[in-house]
Amino acid sequence: MNAPVNAVKDWNGMDDEVFRLEVRQFFEENYPEELRFLTNRPHFELIKPWLMKLVAKGWSAPHWPAEFGGMGLGPQKLLIFMDEQSRWGVARQFLGEAGTVQLGPMLISHGSEDQKKNLLPRILRYDDVWCQGYSEPNAGSDLASLSLEARVEGDSIVLNGRKIWTSSGLDSTHLYLLARSNKEVKKKQDGISFILLDLSSPGVTVRGIRNISGTTEYCEIILDNVRTPLTNVVGKLHDGWTVSRSLMGFERINTGSPRRAEFAFKRLEALAVERGLFADAGFVERYTELALDLADLKSTYVHFADMLCRGETLGADLSVLQLLSAETNQRITECLLESSGELGLTVTEANSEGKRVDALTPFLVMRAVTIGAGTSEIHRDIIAKRVLNLPSK
Amino acid sequence: MTDPNSLEPANHDAGDADDAGELRERLALLRDSAAHYAGQDAHLKRSRALRGEQPGYDKAVWAELAGLGWLGALIPESQGGLGLGCADMAVISEAMGRALFPEPVTASVVLAGGAILYGDNEALKQALLPVLAGGTLVPALAWREHVQDCDPLQVDMLAEPVAAGLRLSGTKVLVVGGIGADGYVVSARAGDGLVLCWVRAGTAGSRVAAEQLPDGRPVATLILDGVQVPAADILARGEVAARALMRAYDEALIMTSAELLGLSTRVLEITVDYLKTRVQFGRAIGSFQALQHQAANLYIQQRLCRHALDEAVMVLQDPAIAADERGAWASRVKARCSDASLKITRGAVQMHGAMGFADECDVGLYLKRAVTLSAWLGGAVIHRRRYARLALKEVVA
Repeated sequence: MNAPVNAVKDWNGMDDEVFRLEVRQFFEENYPEELRFLTNRPHFELIKPWLMKLVAKGWSAPHWPAEFGGMGLGPQKLLIFMDEQSRWGVARQFLGEAGTVQLGPMLISHGSEDQKKNLLPRILRYDDVWCQGYSEPNAGSDLASLSLEARVEGDSIVLNGRKIWTSSGLDSTHLYLLARSNKEVKKKQDGISFILLDLSSPGVTVRGIRNISGTTEYCEIILDNVRTPLTNVVGKLHDGWTVSRSLMGFERINTGSPRRAEFAFKRLEALAVERGLFADAGFVERYTELALDLADLKSTYVHFADMLCRGETLGADLSVLQLLSAETNQRITECLLESSGELGLTVTEANSEGKRVDALTPFLVMRAVTIGAGTSEIHRDIIAKRVLNLPSK
Repeated sequence: MTDPNSLEPANHDAGDADDAGELRERLALLRDSAAHYAGQDAHLKRSRALRGEQPGYDKAVWAELAGLGWLGALIPESQGGLGLGCADMAVISEAMGRALFPEPVTASVVLAGGAILYGDNEALKQALLPVLAGGTLVPALAWREHVQDCDPLQVDMLAEPVAAGLRLSGTKVLVVGGIGADGYVVSARAGDGLVLCWVRAGTAGSRVAAEQLPDGRPVATLILDGVQVPAADILARGEVAARALMRAYDEALIMTSAELLGLSTRVLEITVDYLKTRVQFGRAIGSFQALQHQAANLYIQQRLCRHALDEAVMVLQDPAIAADERGAWASRVKARCSDASLKITRGAVQMHGAMGFADECDVGLYLKRAVTLSAWLGGAVIHRRRYARLALKEVVA
């Protein structure tokens, strides 16, 4: 089943509403009810049956060009696809996301012919599950200072060092990473290579990191004299920074989507109904303010999505969307926690089974959104320096 | 970006073939020509010089605005206007907001003009709208009374039936553009509901008193004591009057928001420029991260206003939009722009340091216009509540 049955369908030629209804129907009929509107990123085994349905349908990479097995959706249709995912509460932060959402497009633009031919079909089918290794213990916000060593030895690369905060590392079979292949450079962004690694290679240790919400989404990966073929370098040796910055389209506005904030807001509404909070004028004022923050976040998102639909390039001001999305999300979950109050302290996702609203888990999970995809402080730096052109010194 | 200090994104590609593309192209052209006229330094100087004066604006500029077609933008071509929509008028309002125009265009053209236009007295429309668009008639809308609620449909002004029409008695406050106006659209309560009347300036029994707004512009109190309104001067009654008044009010909320966005954008440009040039501790103060992040926060506020307004004017471009939906959009945008413009102008004063506290510094003018327009027609709290009533009624009782 290399060529999914309907990959050649002319989705972009379809009427928008017809397309929307077809996508909606598929989600409603096939997505597992118990996995709707998840707070946490699900483990691979949990989400696998759904992913396999997507694979069988030929829908596992809606944004990839059809020639590589994707749906080849144009921006307008992709927006509808994503809309319908959020409407039905379909998990998009699933494990394979790093492979389908991020690695695939980077390979399509920078990979060798062999890499494309061998890897893309496996990513599409989840034969390989990829995770992303960028951050290191001493390279977080200052990512370009990363030091995991990549030494060329014959036709191999030998890797030594540590990656950390790798999402879903425990469930993945492969890692794509940035590594320091040349230390003698003036600009630290130079001398970095983008490398593919099979996690079953000798010398790889993966350790889960329990986070404040009690799950193990993140990992630490230790590489001790791990060898990978030189052919696993993507793009040119020492030019990995360029590869990692090459995502141009919807992959970039993905983290700025209002989707998660909408989920959280629905939960706040459910809590308010459960507790009769809409009779409280103070709560209603705060709820309305959040409703408006969410509405204006959506307008901002529409602006950037429209730019993509018109084929325009997104600039540094995308940080505005990232910040708004993350901070609106946090404000909603903060209101959720505070409104839940003392009675909410003993409610967990496990013991409530959806009957009582768990306010604590979303609050804790959303602590990460102003850290993960660039901290809020980094995004403010970007706005100040690259949008407002304020001086560095 | 052609101007390195401009915070505006570069004009979009105007190549789209669809309607949205055509509208975007038209708006981009209008934006350029509006900036060319309204962007001159002279306008800000006028605004400063005219503080405390009456009528507080420049009649010669008013005539220029008529010549540009701006006063008739929303008026149909059959009545001497250009027949454009809210998106076009918002571009004009934003450009005037940037330079703090003291001319009461929103009050006179959008609010009073809208109340005339959306009524059903065709003869009076033909008499008033062409001269309004031509700049020779300046009307003002007198709707606000001394009640706590900012609700145009709450009216105490009494309209008693008399042989020839109606007799009005009561007091209207905060009539922007009311000093030096040629006539007033007055809302009143008749036996069968709301009524909108046209009262010419100087009509027997009417009196105008002046007060001053924080931005230095005058505002009128209109006192009517048994003023006779002939039946021919009734603009609309009952449901028609209520619909006309609310549509004019909502469109004025949008245009006021556009003015607030314009002034917020400009004052932020001025402030960012100051951060780049002011040196302390041997370096430009804009290199300090505390100030960079503060500037970034204000910029985010500006962008929220920009995108909410952009989407709203496209929705309101359709005149057939349901009243509740229009009201929800208008209140949503006014709440955001009121809030954000206060944050931005306060931040602008702070980042100018002691200079920002001096009257000679322009940022103070921006702050006081923001204070004025944020409160006018209802501030953020009032409009968030109205939004909740209109858009969240399924959950919020």
